[in-house]
Amino acid sequence: MFGITDPAIWVGYLLALVFTLACLVYGLLNWNNGVEGERDDS
Amino acid sequence: MTVDTGLFVGMTLVYLVLIIGLGYLGYRRTKENDDYMVAGRKIHPVVLALSYGATFISTSAIVGFGGVAAQLGMGMIWLTVLNIGLGIFIAFVFFGKRTRRIGHKLRAVTFPDLMGKCYGSPFMQYAAGTVIVLGMPLYTAAILIGGAQFITSTLQIPYTTALLGFAAIVALYVVLGGLIAVMYTDALQGGIMLVGMTILLVLTYIRLGGVVEAHTALAGMSDLVPEALAAGGLTGWASMPAFGSSIWLTLVTTLVLGVGIGVLAQPQLVVRFMTVKDSRALNRAVLVGGPFILMMTGVAFTVGALTNVYFYQAEGVTALAAATNGNVDTIIPNFINASMPDLFVVVFMLALLAAAMSTLSSLFHTMGTSLGFDVIRRTGTEKATMRPIRLATVAMIVVSIILAFIMPGSIIARATAMFMGLCASAFLPTYAHAMYSSRPSLKSAKMSLVTGTVAWFAWTSFVHVKESAALGLSNLLFGVPAVLSAPWQDVDPLVIALPLSTAALLVGWALDRHEVTADTEESAGAA
Repeated sequence: MFGITDPAIWVGYLLALVFTLACLVYGLLNWNNGVEGERDDS
Repeated sequence: MTVDTGLFVGMTLVYLVLIIGLGYLGYRRTKENDDYMVAGRKIHPVVLALSYGATFISTSAIVGFGGVAAQLGMGMIWLTVLNIGLGIFIAFVFFGKRTRRIGHKLRAVTFPDLMGKCYGSPFMQYAAGTVIVLGMPLYTAAILIGGAQFITSTLQIPYTTALLGFAAIVALYVVLGGLIAVMYTDALQGGIMLVGMTILLVLTYIRLGGVVEAHTALAGMSDLVPEALAAGGLTGWASMPAFGSSIWLTLVTTLVLGVGIGVLAQPQLVVRFMTVKDSRALNRAVLVGGPFILMMTGVAFTVGALTNVYFYQAEGVTALAAATNGNVDTIIPNFINASMPDLFVVVFMLALLAAAMSTLSSLFHTMGTSLGFDVIRRTGTEKATMRPIRLATVAMIVVSIILAFIMPGSIIARATAMFMGLCASAFLPTYAHAMYSSRPSLKSAKMSLVTGTVAWFAWTSFVHVKESAALGLSNLLFGVPAVLSAPWQDVDPLVIALPLSTAALLVGWALDRHEVTADTEESAGAA
């Protein structure tokens, strides 16, 4: 993938991007959640 | 690095004026103890995310670990995976929200204070404070050394002047402006780091002819791996080292796991969760924090590995061969100096200065509050006062400076990994238990903290040969640099100490529950 042949490396890059995407999606989906006074179970 | 000194001095002065201005703003806004300790609990989410990220990422993460990537290759990307997955997502979503909520409820203002109040135990506060006061100066001294070495090489000023000047400027705004000043300046520094690393990534790929071309060229260099590294298990710079080899063990246990897990229980990061007013701010900070860390460590490790392609194409040598005196810390600066336009060299140097200052300021603040509030304060009144904490901060800064003059210059990346390993071993199970149990067990927390700390120190002093050989205790007592042979002497202390401290927590918890059950049955029988 993108010139990297060892799966142990490109899977690492893929996961780094997936986790970054997860941070973005989580932040957007919960943009207005968690205001003081609301229940927050995390 | 050698650049247009006039341009660098000019931009540095502008940067320092902004830093002092933000420090002054922090000073003006610091009216009460809560302002000094937890930034008044009303920090903006973007400031939180940048401050967390900038504290997390020091110069050693960029230059030191980037240099390690030049030596050991792209396998370092697994540290980025953990940095984002654990260091941001799990840290904010699963630890941050509870830390903020419980911290607010208990009015905790430091990490040891949080532990003490969660467990209702002054011992936990003292013990956590003591681990910080004893362990953190080593990490702080390493950051000081890195910053001073960098300033010396760029501005061509004596090392002692650089170290003292660097410490004095950071000390000024930390001591006077507390955590508000620290976090405001962190946010500016984080912004500069983001700009610097983004440009670095783009220019590197342009310089090497494109993304695929650069990676293909790196993968094609596997036959150039030096003999010593090949014998240690290195198979190339675009592939993982041979499974189970000494380089694989160092990469996976010390660098990826040690640093990746260690970040979850770092007191200077945990305290930041208590600086925002609600969980919404933490949700929003996740959105900024993830991409920020990707652009820091992801870029540093990728560019670090790719410096091999640049040096091979330009000079016919590997990155390690191009390092000054074989020191891997010089690879990234050498690469930037040789391959980048002058203006960017200056921007990148500012980014490195910002990275060093942002980490250093947070460590100064955490050490000062630990000593002045958690360790000393309990002999006096319950309410924190800023004056003793400021004096304690000055004292810890002086200790760190003295240590920086004593410690060897090549210890930067190792000291970072050591500190993170110690934090995870000593604090992580106890911290997680406090956050996730409605009635946390004090006995289990004490057992875990003591076991984790003792196990980490024992493995570091007697088994993990990279540290035990340097410390000399094993040699003094047993006549050998490490009491166990390979592969054990390559296994990081964290990999041993963290499972032990977790097991101690579980055993203590089971014993506690057993005692409670027995007491209840006894009371019922008596009734």
